[in-house]
Order: sequence, then structure tokens, then C-alpha cells
Amino acid sequence: MNSPTNQPVTSAPRDNSGTKDPAVPIWLIVVLFLLVYWGAVYFDEHGGWFDSQVYTPYVSAEQLKTFQVSGGPNPFEEGRAVYAKTCVACHQANGQGAPGTFPPLAGSDWVNEPQPGRMIRIVLQGFSGPGLTIKGQPFNTGSAMVPWNGLSDDDLAAVITFVRGNKEWGNNASPVTPEQVHAIREKVKNHPLSFTPAEIEQISPAD
Amino acid sequence: MRYGPIVFLAAFLTLSASWCGFVLTPQIQLGRAVQETNSVVKAELYPQGRPGLARAGLEVYRADGCFYCHSQQVDQKKTLVDVFLTDAGKTPTAVAQALEDAHAGTFSAPGLAAGLPKPVLRNATMESASVLASLLKKAGATAELHLAPAGPDIERGWGARRTVAQDFISDSTVMLGSQRVGPDLANVGARLPDENWQLMHLYAPRSVTKDSPMPSYPFLFERRKTGQHPAPDALQQLPKEFAPPAGYEIVPKPEARALVAYLLSLRSDTPLYEAPLTPPAPPAAATNAPAK
Repeated sequence: MNSPTNQPVTSAPRDNSGTKDPAVPIWLIVVLFLLVYWGAVYFDEHGGWFDSQVYTPYVSAEQLKTFQVSGGPNPFEEGRAVYAKTCVACHQANGQGAPGTFPPLAGSDWVNEPQPGRMIRIVLQGFSGPGLTIKGQPFNTGSAMVPWNGLSDDDLAAVITFVRGNKEWGNNASPVTPEQVHAIREKVKNHPLSFTPAEIEQISPAD
Repeated sequence: MRYGPIVFLAAFLTLSASWCGFVLTPQIQLGRAVQETNSVVKAELYPQGRPGLARAGLEVYRADGCFYCHSQQVDQKKTLVDVFLTDAGKTPTAVAQALEDAHAGTFSAPGLAAGLPKPVLRNATMESASVLASLLKKAGATAELHLAPAGPDIERGWGARRTVAQDFISDSTVMLGSQRVGPDLANVGARLPDENWQLMHLYAPRSVTKDSPMPSYPFLFERRKTGQHPAPDALQQLPKEFAPPAGYEIVPKPEARALVAYLLSLRSDTPLYEAPLTPPAPPAAATNAPAK
């Protein structure tokens, strides 16, 4: 209050303003705080925390995880898709292969063994070498089977299940789980690529 | 300009913050997206990419301005869930109690194990389905969820699920569109898979859809005299009022073929992790047995 007393009343507010009253009224701060709080709650419930996989109507990554389609079709059908991509070029769509070059899978003893261990090894690491006879036909040419250890355990299990259980080809062996493939993958990790028939014969069929 | 630097700094910070939010962050999150596995058929990658002719068709789509009237984005408001009981567990009374607690209805405990898998809750919201699923799990039973995306777009038949960023990664120009003078085309390859229908629709929309407001695109076709050997791909089934006079035929130009190839490549009905759905059961295997 340093204005002279003889000043007109109308000019007084100019000097008074901003000295004691806060610049922002308290109620506005409260309203702003409530708005920010509401915004934060709304974001928490609907924002999905900026996860690039969470879209409406899902609200969080955890919720999306619980709404995945369980089960799905059988691995046999998945194996058919893997076979069509990776195996069909050599072993052919009917699993008969080509005489003298690519061994048949249909009705082969190597495929229809009770335990899948040997077949998993062949698919994982590849296969080549002399002395291979399947269904009475020799396969002594230089063409070797490529190792498919780049495929995932799931894909390998599916395709081996498809080949072993394909009744249209006359095969009827047990299905294979990704865990079995994984176990063998760990065992043969240090084996050089390409098994030979003699090496496979030495492995116990149950292993 | 005493405040010049401050004004500049404020404007710069505002614009760069929105650039970070709208350009940089999405680029970091999605810019390196690659094909991912289909969530049901694990051996299939998605998206498969468009065949060469369809890629050329994308340019025709763009050049003719199809995106002015057609969007390619399906919205999904909710997911309806059916809960199927697949295994009643060892304590059927607890399972029946769980079903009652979740307001799924009254089931008699001894009859629960019969006829599995059977639906215990139909068209439920995601919330009530997860409540029931967790109660069933506690009671020692196993349940399977069947997911059906829902919303106005999906009820119109425009798609099986919502579109997500993954749907667009194989296109360098994404034809999202913003207006819907015509129907959404995100899933047109699945819902109108007939190539001949598509060609007739481009040549004369009202020849296949009576009140269509779509302009016709006759310049994608060639009208020419039928020679000694009629073109095998000339439009055959045009109604009388749209058909050319006798002795003439309407033959699609390569642009029309490319555009139709592109339209038929538009599909968004693959189940994905971020947009899960339960695909409809495959039809029973073809058989020669007489119908019952």
C-alpha cells in the first residue's frame, strides 16, 4: 500500500494486483489436478501402455495374452504346410522321392521306426553317404540331404509328425513333440553336419 | 523481439514433441516389422506379400483414385467369446459351482463330463469370459475360448477381424483411405473372389449391383470388333443394356487384370497374435458318398 492516499480509488487495483493474491486461483489448480488424474486413469485403462501389439478392443498385453486361440488345428496339418515348403522339392508331394536320387518317405522303414530319434537326427543334421538302401533300392549318388536345423522345434516336430503319421502314404508311426526334437537337437549340437547311414545304424533306435 | 528466442524454443519443442510421438515412436515400434507366423497355422507366414501382377494393380488402384471412396481398414469394437468346457476335471461339483458363480447357468455336476467339448457360455464379453476361465481353472477344469470379433464393420461382412499394422507391411504405398462412399476393401479378396464379377463390376458397376453409385471404368477395357477368333477373356455375361452391340466385344486391358489381381489379393482374415480369432471350422472332407 505505497500509493498516495489522495489517488482516486479507480487507479488503486493496478498497484494492488499481484502482490498478495496468487497468480493462479486454487480452484483452477485443483481442477487441473483432477483432469490430469482422470487422464492418467483413462490412459491406464485404455492406452495399452503404447504397446504396438495392443489394439482396441484389447486393453493390455497381459489381457491379449489370455485371449489367444488355444489348441488350434493339429500339428499334422501344420506339418503338411512345412512339408510343402521344405521337403516337397526332393521327396515329392506323394512322398515317393525319385529313384536312385531322393529316397521315398512313403512306406520307408527309416520313417516308420517305433521311436523317432533317428529320423529327427537325419532331418536336423542332414544325411548322405554310401550304403543306403531303402525299400530294396540303392541310393548311392552324391546328392546329400540338406540339414534343416534352421527350422524351429515346432516346425520340425510338425513335419516329422506329418511324414510319420501320413496314412495316405501308408505310414503309421507315432507323432513327435517339439520337446523330443529339442532334446535331440541338444544331443547332436556338436556332431558334424550330415549323418552317414552307418552312423545312424549305430544309434539305438530308442534313443 | 525480446521474447523471440523463447517463442522459437517453445514452438520448436512443441513441434519436435509431436514429431517424436507421431513419427519417431511408431517408426521405432513398427518400422522394422517383418513377416510373423499365423497364430493358428504356425507354419504359415503373414503377410505373404503380393504377387507381381497385384503389385502393378496397386499402382492402378492409386492412379484411378479408388482410395477416394474406398477405405482398407476394418474396425473392431469388441470380441465375443464362447467358452467351451474341454475337460471337467476330477471335481465336477466344484466345476458346477464355478459355472454358477460366473453366472454361466446351472449345470448338474454328474452330467458335466458328457459330450465334451461343450459350450458353457455363449457370446460373452471378454471380462465375463476371463472370470469364468479363471474360476474353471481353479476348480480343476480346462476350458477353451472361441473368439469372434464383432463391431459394425465386421457385421457388414467387411472383414473377419480388425486390421492391424502387420496387414500393411508388404505395401510401400498403403491405401488406407479415409472416406467410405463405397464399402471397405480390406477383405474384398475373401468376400468377392470371382474374377469375372470384379471385371464386370469395373466395366459397368450397375450391371452387377443395381444401385451402385460407383463410376464405371470403361477405359480399363477395350471395345473392339469381334474377329474371326473371339477373345477368350472378353466379358461374357454382361446384361443386355450394358453389352456391346453385336459384332463387338469388351476385352479387359492389362490394367484391368492387374487391378483385379490386386483386389483379389486384399485379405485380412488371417488370425494374428494381436488380432486373434477362431477360424470357422473347415468343411468336412469331400466325399463321394450319397447325400443323406
